[in-house]
Amino acid sequence: MAELGAEIARDYAGREPVLVASLKTSVFFLADLSRAIPIPHAIDFIALAGYAGRTPRSGVRLIKDLDVSIEGRDVLLVEDVVDTGLTLNYVCRTFALRNPTSLEAVAFLDRPYRRLVDDLPVRYVGFTVPDEFFVGYGFDLDERYRYLPDLHLAQGAS
Amino acid sequence: MPDFQAYCGRGVPRFANDVELECAKLLDYYRVPWDYEPTTFVLERAADGSVLEAFKPDFYLPEQDLYLELTVMKQSLVTRKNRKLRKLRQLYPDIRIKLFYKRDIQRLAERFRLDLAS
Repeated sequence: MAELGAEIARDYAGREPVLVASLKTSVFFLADLSRAIPIPHAIDFIALAGYAGRTPRSGVRLIKDLDVSIEGRDVLLVEDVVDTGLTLNYVCRTFALRNPTSLEAVAFLDRPYRRLVDDLPVRYVGFTVPDEFFVGYGFDLDERYRYLPDLHLAQGAS
Repeated sequence: MPDFQAYCGRGVPRFANDVELECAKLLDYYRVPWDYEPTTFVLERAADGSVLEAFKPDFYLPEQDLYLELTVMKQSLVTRKNRKLRKLRQLYPDIRIKLFYKRDIQRLAERFRLDLAS
């Protein structure tokens, strides 16, 4: 976390970025990352309607939008995990329409071999992980285990 | 057939199986423009010019300039498809294509709770 924070601080020096996390899983990572970035920055949150709860004719949408304007701001999307890239792709396309100065992403975990879409602005990666299911540190299994302070491999869950 | 919003092909797509349909629904949900089997790549021709072997990837994502091929065959049975994919890459080195195996699709199904028959 310290390494990521230092790298981000170096790259964004003098720019006061907005860190944007998607509820709920990324909250834990954002909280730690924010405290590891020793330069001024803002934080904000979004929430997206998940695919599992979709209705006919529904599409992905923000069910909680940003509280701050990102026009002319440097935006760093804080992702718990990037795998298919579908969610990040949607958020990037949505936010790009709001004319930020820059739009990049930091992923706590990355599964690049599971990408369905490419060309994602993932500039920082905590860990590239194998094709396993994790709980803890914000990751849940049917809303359980988020509170665990560390990542755990959920054996037999995937 | 669902009323697709991000489909950018012509005509009604006729999917070969539930996996392709669910993949289309997933791309559509996330508003990723997609087309279904828009391109046939010729891999081998006879002396008279007739096509001996061809490959038609399942999906094309125009914004990504990326083809997706899904296979529901067991890993042990995908040798022929892998060979065709290698041939495609040799003949069309600029084409970007990803092959998703049954295991990858199962992971997708678990992640997104897809309605797959198998």
